[in-house]
Order: sequence, then structure tokens, then C-alpha cells
Amino acid sequence: MQESHEVSPQPTEGAKVAIVACAGMDKALGSVARACAFTIVERSRPEETVLICIAPLVAEVKPYSELIKKHPVIIIDGCAERCATKIAAKIGAKIKGRVLVPQSAQKYNLKPKKASDIGPEGEMLAEKIAEEIAVQIDRLLGK
Amino acid sequence: MTLAKDKVGIICCSGEDFPEGTISRVATRLVLEKLRPDETVTLCLPLFLAGGEDERAFARVFPTIAVDGCGKKCAESGTRKFSGKPVATIVVSEIMKKYPKLKAKSRERLDTEEMELAMKVAEEIAEKVDEILCKKVTK
Repeated sequence: MQESHEVSPQPTEGAKVAIVACAGMDKALGSVARACAFTIVERSRPEETVLICIAPLVAEVKPYSELIKKHPVIIIDGCAERCATKIAAKIGAKIKGRVLVPQSAQKYNLKPKKASDIGPEGEMLAEKIAEEIAVQIDRLLGK
Repeated sequence: MTLAKDKVGIICCSGEDFPEGTISRVATRLVLEKLRPDETVTLCLPLFLAGGEDERAFARVFPTIAVDGCGKKCAESGTRKFSGKPVATIVVSEIMKKYPKLKAKSRERLDTEEMELAMKVAEEIAEKVDEILCKKVTK
């Protein structure tokens, strides 16, 4: 099974799904992860999601550390280091789905330009991944 | 023998919760790509926090600047926790007070006004880079 389709089939309690994206600075794929997260929480599923800022999780800053334990979580990792997954797992997040952007890039044959400007292919990749995640969100919320 | 050139590591929060986090990210990239490309490197905060030993080792050896979007100062506290106190911390929300006409509105895409703000922040980061490298030379 491709990692980008990992998802718990059971509907989960709670009206929202938490989105955690890597936001990596080094690679264009990190920027795609970030763009994808914004697409979901601002346009695609704004009422059904909450975006979790990754840096405060390590310091266990509220409300992020509480939200990530309260809601089912979908992770968007920008590279094979899987930092977002590692950080979320460490503090006890209920991870219900994970996306690895490089795998999606390969799947759709789309190459983002650079970290500061992901370009049209990067934008399209973010949209494609957001569409997949929207399906996961609906499934998790039992819609 | 070739001496390694001094570099300053920039660790920005990249926070997704506020527009200031996006400003921190864009400003950092402006420094890396335009203002001080030869003097700076970026340290990936998520990797740093998740246990990236290369990133942490760099921050133990080389001077770092934390660029935080808001008063929670996650980049600064993360750096301090795993590698030592950054030489300087830039807080976007503090810099914004100097430019009340420039507003940060979007978390996703910066408009012309927000890009101007990002450039102001980038210039402050570049100034700190110069200070740090100059201080090292005169030590």
C-alpha cells in the first residue's frame, strides 16, 4: 500500500481533523506540504479541519499540544526524514493518515520548482494531494 | 590549509498559524537567496526539532539567528533546548511595530505590501549576519 493512502477506515469521534505539515525550509517539497495544508484549511475543508503549527508542539505549547491529542491527525511530510510524523508521534498524536509528498510527486509526475516558489507544477501537486486528503477527512468524520 | 568560511545558520519558525510565520519564512529565504547567499545557511526547524543531528551539530558550532513570527519564540526556544542559545533572535511581530502601515494579512500568499514587510525583516536579519561575522573577525 502506498503510504499516501494510509488511513484508518473507522470513523473517528470529533468534529474536526488536525492537519500537521512539515513546513521544511530546505526543499521545494516542504513548501508543497505547506501549500497543501493551506489549501485544505482555508479552502477545501475549512470547517472540518484545524491547522497545527509544528514548532510549538515540541515545547508542548497549548492549545496545539491539546488539539493534536483531541482530534484525529493527518500528517503531510515533505521528505523522507518524516519530521512531522516523528514530532507528532512523540507527543501522542492520534495519527490517522499520512502523506509523503515525494511519493505523491512521483505518482503525479509533477516537479515543484524551488522552496521559495514552487511554480505551477508545485501548485498543482499541492492541489492533488489536498484532494486526496479531503477524501480522507470526509472518511474520518464519517461523511 | 583552507580555512572553512564562517557561516551563520538561520532557523526560522515558518509557523502556519499566523501571517507572521509566513513572513519569517519568506524573509529567511530572501536572506539566503538574495541578501547574504554566501554567508548564510538555513537550518530546517522541523528536522532540528525531530532530532536531526547534523542540524543540531551545526547550531552547536556555528552562530545562529532565530527568526520567530510571534512572541512564543519557538525557533529560539527549540535552538536553545537542543544546541544552545542563538546569537540573535528576530521577532517579526516586534519588527512590524516599526512599520505600522505595513500589515501581515495572509498566511498563504504575500501581496506587495507583505513582501515589503518581508524585505524589511530580511534586511534586519542581514544586518545581524554582518554584525556576527564582523564580531568574529575582530575577536
